Amino acid sequence: MCDLGRVLRLDARRSALLFAVPVLAAIGVAAAWRTLIPGVAYWDDAVMAVSASARVLGPAAAAFAAWVGMRERRLDYLRGLTVRSPATGPLLDLALLTATTLAAYGLVTVVIAGQTVLREEAGRLRPLGLLVGAATLLLYVVSGYLAGRLLPRPLIVPATAVAAALWAWLRHDGHSWWRLLPPADLGHVELFTYPRTGVLAHQVLWSLSLSTALVLGYVLAAGRRELSTLPLAVPLATALVVAAVSTKRLHDYDGAAVLPSPTGLACREWPLTVCVHPALRTALPSLVAEVTPLAARLTGTPGAFIRVEQRPAHEPVSIEGGVAHIHLSDLANGYEQRVEDEIRGGLVDERACADPRRARSAAYTLMVNAWLLDHEPQNAPGTAAARRFASWDEQQRRAWLRLHFADYRRCALVESHFR
Amino acid sequence: MIADVSTIVARGMGIRRGGRWILRPAVFGITGGVIGFAGPRGAGKTCLLSTFATLRRPHVGALEILGHDTGNPAGLRAARALLGYLPGDFAWAADLRVGDFVAYAGYYKRVPAGAVEAALDRFELRDVASMSLSMLPADMRLRAGLAATCVHRPRLVLLDEPFAAIDGGTGDRTEDRAGDKTGEKAVDKAMELWPVIRSLAPTVLVTASAADRLVGRCDRIFTLARGRLTEPAVETGPSHRSAPRPAPPVRSRRAPGRTRPQRIGAGV
Repeated sequence: MCDLGRVLRLDARRSALLFAVPVLAAIGVAAAWRTLIPGVAYWDDAVMAVSASARVLGPAAAAFAAWVGMRERRLDYLRGLTVRSPATGPLLDLALLTATTLAAYGLVTVVIAGQTVLREEAGRLRPLGLLVGAATLLLYVVSGYLAGRLLPRPLIVPATAVAAALWAWLRHDGHSWWRLLPPADLGHVELFTYPRTGVLAHQVLWSLSLSTALVLGYVLAAGRRELSTLPLAVPLATALVVAAVSTKRLHDYDGAAVLPSPTGLACREWPLTVCVHPALRTALPSLVAEVTPLAARLTGTPGAFIRVEQRPAHEPVSIEGGVAHIHLSDLANGYEQRVEDEIRGGLVDERACADPRRARSAAYTLMVNAWLLDHEPQNAPGTAAARRFASWDEQQRRAWLRLHFADYRRCALVESHFR
Repeated sequence: MIADVSTIVARGMGIRRGGRWILRPAVFGITGGVIGFAGPRGAGKTCLLSTFATLRRPHVGALEILGHDTGNPAGLRAARALLGYLPGDFAWAADLRVGDFVAYAGYYKRVPAGAVEAALDRFELRDVASMSLSMLPADMRLRAGLAATCVHRPRLVLLDEPFAAIDGGTGDRTEDRAGDKTGEKAVDKAMELWPVIRSLAPTVLVTASAADRLVGRCDRIFTLARGRLTEPAVETGPSHRSAPRPAPPVRSRRAPGRTRPQRIGAGV
């Protein structure tokens, strides 16, 4: 054991593994950060972001593994001419590379999990999601190492990186089932959804079984089908069967990787009730401050609301029974205005306003919108009606809106409405 | 018939690389002593040596090392346990300490405790065991390489151009520039290592770029060129006269394969 430790330490030093960990971790953190929903601390999204970092981290790890594999071929005169199994050296290399890559992946996980916890996280941590990324990286490392070992030419390093990146990139944004093959591009796991456990489990199995098959195949080949290695054919066949079954199962999901997740809302009750997904609870104060003036101006009209509720992306927005339903996918800059615009968009018949014959009415509607949203009026018509509306105080405008809300909603305002 | 004592027996063995014959199918046997293989750059000496080292498989024919058929897994493993191979370039180990380097080799050779220390003593490396290889002069690096190669006391040692790093591959004082003391020193150091090389194992195979580098130092010299291995008639040097003459390779059965194999060496 002591000798093995010495050999591992020497191999680690020669392969600059300690240097590789922070480099790979930095690549992984950058990739995962890019995938996070801005401003949202949602465990399912965080876990999938960590897992998705394998799409970038994987090709880098594969290229590094190919470099090590190519480089270590030169040691065959020591490690190949051994009384141990000829696969001993490569297996030790793979163990070190796997440890290095998983250490980098661990750092990525710690960083992303840390920021999720610090931002009052919501949702449920699913360790299976983290396993998907780890298993995917293992497959990348094994493939890259064996490529470098079997084709020990300097070109194999960039070729491995390109091939690995293409495998991830060619399935980007697709909707077919094979985008679920690791490294899957599931994009953001939106609020009110969660990744299907079955998909995650089969992705883990797919990566692990293929990695196992590759390693066992290599050991069998390296042993030149020695009798002592022949029993490995059984686990090799098993691994291939598991990979085939996992592929079939992933195929059966038909690209549907997430399911709706019923979630209770986090609310703020005063002066207006605003309820959002718990992952967005930090946005409540600013949302309340933003929509309260709008709610006050709509008081007494059919568009009045006293409650704002976030809805999943697939449900329509509306104002019904005093409740304004909104969408809010993230907390990127300007999210308060986006919510307000969404509520306001539910008040007016936008199709009617798009009619060129109603250009003047549309202009009046925009003028009223600007007041409702506290914006500066843009391109206000230079008519007496517009000047009159501009001269009214807040109470006069609210009274006017209560009278003419129906015309405002139908985008049918004319000059006479402002007398 | 090939002598029973042959260390290496090739039966119709042919080696190809990059679509050309490095060694056309040949029948030969190599017995004990220091055997030289000379050939110009690109002739395939390294390829031939790595085939003897079982790192490559022959394209055709059979190869026996120390009585073990390398064509079957058990024989291959047994042969590998008995041989040591040092390629021309082992620069990968430059940042390793001498002691670590030899211990690294010892792990893969599964040598008993104390064998590494014994190898360091045998090759007079004790004083530099804690120094990194890159800090050592070329002849000491070669000693470290030899210690790693022979840590398990092999019966067959294969050395690929061992002196190339020391004397630049010339091996001859007359080729040095006039007054070039550095060149002369290097050649002297290389000469000092020959007794060490002779003591490595019962059979030692050494390659060099030219046959005259090996004359007087090897018991037999083969030349590899254009896919043919020949044993030219060369004058024997003092070391040769003092060394036990190895048994010559002897007549072999017809080797398998369509190509008629070469028969190499006296009596073939």
